[in-house]
Amino acid sequence: MAFPGQPAPGGGFYQGGYGGAPGGPAFPGQAQDPLYGYFAAVAGQDGHIDADELQRCLTQSGIAGAYKPFNLETCRLMISMLDRDMSGTLGFEEFKELWAVVSGWKQHFMSFDRDGSGSVDRQELETALVNMGFRLSPQAVTAITRRFSTHGKITFDDYVACCVKLRALTECFRRRDAAQQGVVNFQYDDVSELVRNQ
Amino acid sequence: APGAPPPGAYPGAYPGAPYGGGPYGQPGPYGGPQPGPYGGGAPGGNAPPGVDPEAFSWFQAVDTDHSGYISVKELKQALVNSNWSTFNDETCMLMINMFDKTRSGRIDVYGFSALLRFIQQWRSLFQQYDRDQSGSISFNELQQAFTQMGYNLSPQFSQLLLARYGQRSSNPSIQLDRFIQICMQLQSTTDAFREKDTGLVGNVRLSYEDFLTMVVTRMM
Repeated sequence: MAFPGQPAPGGGFYQGGYGGAPGGPAFPGQAQDPLYGYFAAVAGQDGHIDADELQRCLTQSGIAGAYKPFNLETCRLMISMLDRDMSGTLGFEEFKELWAVVSGWKQHFMSFDRDGSGSVDRQELETALVNMGFRLSPQAVTAITRRFSTHGKITFDDYVACCVKLRALTECFRRRDAAQQGVVNFQYDDVSELVRNQ
Repeated sequence: APGAPPPGAYPGAYPGAPYGGGPYGQPGPYGGPQPGPYGGGAPGGNAPPGVDPEAFSWFQAVDTDHSGYISVKELKQALVNSNWSTFNDETCMLMINMFDKTRSGRIDVYGFSALLRFIQQWRSLFQQYDRDQSGSISFNELQQAFTQMGYNLSPQFSQLLLARYGQRSSNPSIQLDRFIQICMQLQSTTDAFREKDTGLVGNVRLSYEDFLTMVVTRMM
């Protein structure tokens, strides 16, 4: 079965699947990569960035465009999405992946935020989720909207946090569904993995 | 140990079921934050029936917009960790959801009063596990806490939580708010599994949609 997160017709956003090894060797031309400039400006000696530094980095890069910069909790979530070595930080390769994913989500969000107000309503969020391939019960959509809205509206920041969480949960499920049947057996001991992805 | 499960059953007895005490000792006399220099307000005169007067006066102080309800934002301002940081949004949201009977995203004075007892129980547990009394819980202390609560969790899991929620240091540790968040999420997931595992076989079979629904409605 196809999992959500695949590009909608017309594409426009990152479909998931991690490319590149985290923390791999520097590639030729890395110093010329414009993203590297933003990254290096905040990363310390260890070449990694934590949630605070990510927040600064993303704000300075202007990836949010006209939207408000990301709050710290969302940055923390974004790190946990890509933090394969469980260090609580991102290296440059992981940062680049994050950038690509978030850019895709931003394109998608903008297509729903037609009046450019910076937030969408519940209906629009529901449509956005359907377009990303999620088939959720009304109960689940209500829960998601409540969890990720600010005064009844969903801002770009809220939307990114929502996408990160859904993506993490999907990956958690997909890892166990080797046969791609859309059904998985969870053991009690898997509880820690679920908590890790919440 | 309290709540020690029979083999094959679900562990994780924990204090603070909504509106009640738990297996880790009875809620004692209200021992929350210290009353201010002016005392706890009118002695029981204005408190609704069944609500501790100190809890009531604290409720009024926290309900800054005087709506008669406390929101996540108001709650956040009222709760501090041992390092004086305010409780994080996630923990406040989880707690509000737990005591919010109307699913409106905020709690009334009864819910708040129960929430204070809940926090006090968790604070006591936290202090117990914080063996070196540093005000935060580090790796060994967290491992021990999980074991004593009846969970069988890997060291990698504790390590990940500390990396994610602790300060960046060689010995990261977590504050009370994150400790509460983690324990609530563990318990909530356990409960969700238990609910689905009607045959008590120790595993549940879920479709992708059921899985997402289970997680988003209970735990987020």
